[in-house]
Amino acid sequence: MLNANPPTGRRVALVTVLTLVGLCVAVVCGLAIGPTPIGTMRIIGSIFSHVGIGHSTLNSLQSTIIWQLRAPRLVLGLLAGAMLSVAGGTYQGVFRNPLADPYLLGVAAGAGLGATFAIMDIGGGTYTPSWTPLMAFAGAMVAVSITWIIGGRGLRSSASTLILAGVAVAALLTSLQTYLQQQASAQSLARVYIWLLGSLASASWSSVDLVLPYVLVCITICVLAGRALDVMSVGEDESRSLGVPVRRVRLIVIAASSLGTAAIVSAVGLIGFVGIIVPHIVRLLVGTSYRRILPLSVAFGAAFLVFADTIARTVIAPSELPLGVVTALVGAPVFVLILSFRKQLVR
Amino acid sequence: MSIINIDALTVKAGNKVLVSDVSLDVEPGTWCTIIGPNGAGKTSLVETVAGLRRVASGSVSISGRALSTMNERERALVVSLVPQHPEIPAGMTVREYVSLGRSPYHGLLHAPSDNDHRIVDSVFDQLSLQEFAERDVVTLSGGERQRMVLGRALAQSTSVMVLDEPITGLDLRHQMGLLELLKTQVEQGGLTVVATMHDLTLAGQFADRLVLLDKGKVVLDGPAGQVVRSAELAQCYGMNLRVIDVDGADVVVPVRS
Repeated sequence: MLNANPPTGRRVALVTVLTLVGLCVAVVCGLAIGPTPIGTMRIIGSIFSHVGIGHSTLNSLQSTIIWQLRAPRLVLGLLAGAMLSVAGGTYQGVFRNPLADPYLLGVAAGAGLGATFAIMDIGGGTYTPSWTPLMAFAGAMVAVSITWIIGGRGLRSSASTLILAGVAVAALLTSLQTYLQQQASAQSLARVYIWLLGSLASASWSSVDLVLPYVLVCITICVLAGRALDVMSVGEDESRSLGVPVRRVRLIVIAASSLGTAAIVSAVGLIGFVGIIVPHIVRLLVGTSYRRILPLSVAFGAAFLVFADTIARTVIAPSELPLGVVTALVGAPVFVLILSFRKQLVR
Repeated sequence: MSIINIDALTVKAGNKVLVSDVSLDVEPGTWCTIIGPNGAGKTSLVETVAGLRRVASGSVSISGRALSTMNERERALVVSLVPQHPEIPAGMTVREYVSLGRSPYHGLLHAPSDNDHRIVDSVFDQLSLQEFAERDVVTLSGGERQRMVLGRALAQSTSVMVLDEPITGLDLRHQMGLLELLKTQVEQGGLTVVATMHDLTLAGQFADRLVLLDKGKVVLDGPAGQVVRSAELAQCYGMNLRVIDVDGADVVVPVRS
């Protein structure tokens, strides 16, 4: 990322405005696009009527489609995109590793094992039990806790020790998960895979209610850590000499990122690529300061995931593509495109 | 009264003793340079003074307060560091980098105040950094980088500055330039400097006092002229050294046996 001239304030402002416009467009697309066509202006009118401005012109069926099907899916998509992106950016900052993503410390492997266990052992493989999210959440948190403990509690050890501990824990839990899957019937294996690939199809207001408090608190903590992460870009010793309690910051940031990610994963499954690609795209656009990367990743990631979900649920309707596949299929070319035009962009 | 008190300090890495029973007092507004052969414990000693290493026994105090009783922020308000190999984060401007020195003042949740900006501006003036202000830090030359790192430490506005081999990798002009800048801060700004250096001639010319360290212990401690002319110096390095007077400055020359 060698730039002769880091981004100017004007470019950062332009990217911010465009991202927010993109977010608004994503919200409208998320609500308006679907098998039942409903006019955008009527949807906007319905949104305003919910805050006491004007009257909704939607009939009861349209209102149900918008507010009970598309809106919770949209909100969960926004939350998932925002959380995974900001967690990825935060991990990249705290570990000073561009390959870091929200699943680095074993969240995905733990959640996957928890969900597999719930579907196969509790549900017997014939259905997806209602406590699958709880088991996935518990699995994710147990995995991160084990990583934290064997990585020397992150207090005495270096960031790389923690990453290696995460790799070991993820490998162990993934092998357990694979063993469980090997025992499964084709039908239950399919259920597990559907869950693992991630989807917003089962989104409801209750799932939004469940993750919202975690996600809001965790996103706030991650965004507030931006200034500390900027100082920490000069390395552990130098940042300590600049007054940063590096180990405490690391603990708080990892806890917030992991908790938020675990909450999201428990609700929507494992959506890959967003957490690693969005912070990189934002970094290419606005430079390396985490004070800019993290808040913009929240907005960019939210918009990105809603667009990806809109594609996932429309291109082969009435079936759906796995969301994780779409995020990679859309994200990779966008990233390559920005990477190719980086020199022009940074001017 | 001294500003730095090092009392019977021992520092270890595992079972290996890096610094052994070192006691030193440094007066405010003076320059103390630690010299000695590779592996003597110079870096370990100054890193401990900067609060970066755990003390096995003994203590380090600054302005009468033990470093072990201070948190990171409190330490950063009294002692700044110029490391031997500073990390240069790509994508950051020189202004942003130097401004990191104000972090202990405005904290990690607040933006720099007008006063912070004023202090950074004044550091830019002192070190003639204005022309690089908006450049990416990785585009600077070695000499410019070292000036920038010194700028970050000066922006910390501490009473004590610790420098580990600050002139390594610089050409002669940049070496002299950097040391002159630092000397000005000591003489006019009242800064207390604790540095490590390999160049004995420059160490002798700029420091008020030299401390010769070998195998973690203080071998000799005194005025620069006295230490560079001592027999212990040659013994520690295990070679013949000759000191030549050039216009009143001691020039230390190694002589082939």
